[in-house]
Amino acid sequence: MKVEHYNAIIRAQLSRRKMLKGAASVGALAAMGGMAGVPSALADSHGNLRAEILKIPGVGKGSPTDADWQKVGEMTLGPTKERVAEGEFEGVELTFMGLNNQNLHNFLFRGFLKPWEAYTGAKINWVDLAQADYNPRLQQAIATGTVDFDIIEMGAPFEGDTAGKGLLDEMPDWVEEQIEADDLVGYLQPPVGTWDGKKYRITIDGDCHTFAYRKDYFGDGAIGGASVPRTWQDVNAVSKALIGKEDPLTGLPAHGYLDPLKGWGGFGFYFLENRAAAYAKHPDDPAWLFDPETMKPRVNNPAWVQAIQDVFDLIAAGAYPADQINADPGTTGFQQFLAGTGSMLMWWGDIGSNARTSDTSVVGDVVGFGINPGSDRVYNSKTGAWEETYNEAPNMAYLGWGVYVTKRVSGDAKKRKAAWSAAAHLGGKDISLWMSAYPSGFQPYRNSHFQFDEWEAAGYDRAFIEDYLLSNAESYNHSNAAIEPRIPGIFQYYSVAEDELAKGYAGQYASAQETADAIAAAWEKITDQIGRESQIALYKASLGM
Amino acid sequence: MSSEGDLLHVVTADQISDRRRRFGKTIVWGSAGLLFLVAFLQAADHNGWLDIGFETWRPTLYAYVLWGICLCAAQVIERGEHGKRTLFVLPATLFVVSMVVFPLLFGLVIAFSDWNLSSPDGRQFNGLDNVRQMWTDPFYWNALKNMVYYTLAIIVEYAIAFGLALLLNAEIRARKFFRVAFLLPLMLSPVAVSWMIGKSMLENRFGPIARLLRELGVENPSFFSTPEVARMMIMLMDAWTYIPFMMIMILAGLQAIPRELNEAAEVDGASVWRKFWEITFPLMLPVSITAILIRIIFKLKLADIIINVTSGGPGGATDSVTSFIFREYRDRSNVGYGTLLAIVYLIIIAAAMTILIKAVDRWMRPRY
Repeated sequence: MKVEHYNAIIRAQLSRRKMLKGAASVGALAAMGGMAGVPSALADSHGNLRAEILKIPGVGKGSPTDADWQKVGEMTLGPTKERVAEGEFEGVELTFMGLNNQNLHNFLFRGFLKPWEAYTGAKINWVDLAQADYNPRLQQAIATGTVDFDIIEMGAPFEGDTAGKGLLDEMPDWVEEQIEADDLVGYLQPPVGTWDGKKYRITIDGDCHTFAYRKDYFGDGAIGGASVPRTWQDVNAVSKALIGKEDPLTGLPAHGYLDPLKGWGGFGFYFLENRAAAYAKHPDDPAWLFDPETMKPRVNNPAWVQAIQDVFDLIAAGAYPADQINADPGTTGFQQFLAGTGSMLMWWGDIGSNARTSDTSVVGDVVGFGINPGSDRVYNSKTGAWEETYNEAPNMAYLGWGVYVTKRVSGDAKKRKAAWSAAAHLGGKDISLWMSAYPSGFQPYRNSHFQFDEWEAAGYDRAFIEDYLLSNAESYNHSNAAIEPRIPGIFQYYSVAEDELAKGYAGQYASAQETADAIAAAWEKITDQIGRESQIALYKASLGM
Repeated sequence: MSSEGDLLHVVTADQISDRRRRFGKTIVWGSAGLLFLVAFLQAADHNGWLDIGFETWRPTLYAYVLWGICLCAAQVIERGEHGKRTLFVLPATLFVVSMVVFPLLFGLVIAFSDWNLSSPDGRQFNGLDNVRQMWTDPFYWNALKNMVYYTLAIIVEYAIAFGLALLLNAEIRARKFFRVAFLLPLMLSPVAVSWMIGKSMLENRFGPIARLLRELGVENPSFFSTPEVARMMIMLMDAWTYIPFMMIMILAGLQAIPRELNEAAEVDGASVWRKFWEITFPLMLPVSITAILIRIIFKLKLADIIINVTSGGPGGATDSVTSFIFREYRDRSNVGYGTLLAIVYLIIIAAAMTILIKAVDRWMRPRY
């Protein structure tokens, strides 16, 4: 129901009781098949709503503003109004903790929830955090028992730290219906978002790394060869072969794959994972970072060592741009690839959404997308041997953001409903389409996001959007996707690995194996410190074992 | 009015009754008793022995504030005019104790604990394990070694700052403009310096400095690829920010040197170098030492530029102790070990500075 329709009903002095009676009659008639036209009319208006919100402000008409976010928030209030009466949460105050990256995330949520606040009467207080401050703030709140927020925007990797410690409120069934959770892509379905069989998460984002490449490097007569590399072996061979050649777009030296060689607060480790996933994630084994029975790290097994060796080889060959040792993932994505340096990259969906919309991107017309390259062979941890068979494993790095409600509201029914209602508004099916189509910090994550016609109608170029969206969809729905382990302290493992890798890349370790052994030793220490038995249990739970 | 006692510092000598003294003692001991009682109840509630319903430690804080007020009031009640003098210092002392000494003691407790924020067991006392870990931690020793390099760079910074101060003290054109212009880097946040210079101007592809070097024939100018160059670039950025600080202190010292000394030397026929070496430099020693000591303290806290530009790389070549502790504490939530590293660093700094100040003091004391 649209806001103006609702207001018209109020103006006509229609009581809530009468309105519900009317709605019940309509429902009964529809159930009897007496109003054959009603469902299609509703579907039409729903389809119209999706088309209408995608026109705000319109693709290519500048960045959306707070007024646009509020408009979208107001137009998508329908599901809330079906479950919450006007003014029902009068007097309720909620605290929402989230990010302020690139002036997105919480900035959007504020706009989206303003109409929700006006309608329900609740008030939301905001805690905005920079990405780098987020992890410590959350960890400190958990460790010191000072959880001072009712709703939190959080990544699935932290479910072990929060749900595992009983800090979250279980999702009511009506929320699952409101957000149409069955529309989520396969890999975001449970066990993601659940802990001990209970559901906690409203998904608002999907995360995976996809392969971005320069189309002008590949094809008949192109400097990178006739076809786009399909395996990491090919990626390395092409990267070496490009040394000394000239970039067809910029005229500067041509480069192949861009590995970030500098840490990024733990997030940089995902980029080694991209290479390792193809070697280490065996289709018959859900685990690939640790042995689930002992938590013994697999990071120094031959598969991971091969991934590290690949990077060592490119460093030794001089295949990277100068100063690559000081390039973190932000640099490789935005200062290098989008600015025309390098021809291959693994990154989150931001590269796709920025390639044609960012002022600093020069590769919009020559960028293509695919899934994580595979490998000619895969390592089987159970047999301890390589298998000479093609393997691919997209890296579901970070699993995307979700909105969660904390235990603080559990004792107060009104507050609890308000918190879940606010969270559900942000996780709604229609609002999510807008968030995946416009700058928001979130990737597509629902099956309904992959209807290319909707994107085309909104103003996107069909060929580009199909290429971009399919790379996401194929990664999400891959049968051998490498899933992030949702265990406590996962970023501690990544962070210490970054430090050891930096030493390895700088030549301070004699070999890839020695570098990998140093990471494994540091991981063992962290596991012992956090508690091996509990980590084993949580790791298994997070893998659905 | 009494004619005995400390008449120089005390205006009036109060006649304080025993009853008033008893009242003063009563409120101090009464509020102290209340403080201990509340703290005990709070601890009991916190540890689950009692269920009083204290949600935060605020009741204990309020009891502490009440005790502090009673203690201050009692000074005047019990000791009259003498007590008022104490009041000039006592509130500040109590504040320092609460904000510095108590957290430091709490920090010591944490330093000898195994406390990873992700651990379900919370904080566990682990004796000297953190010290043993530190002893064998190559990252920490590497960072300490880097700090030695960074600190030694102060000698060069000092020489440059002295030179600039001499220039600005001379009769040059637009002296006021240059004084302000040279101070500008000090007004910039090191974070801004890291982005403007480290991440933009020194960017190896589009950065203007890289472009200039390319024009000059350098094939692949890169500023953070090799350990030595990367460390040098960090030193340069830090020096650019803080040389003005030393310069302004030295300039103030130069302006305080009596003009007659130089004029007398000129009459005696001293050369410019002799005047500098025999008059200016010795007279500037106290100011120079102070500037260098303060600069060392600043330098030992070096972290922001490193965190932003190199994250300690390549391979730890630019890591400072503070940037390493930052990663250990913040990225890895390793609170116990991170705190121990910070406290050991504090002790090293305090000891080194004390020794340095003593040595300088002995060296500079005039011997007649």
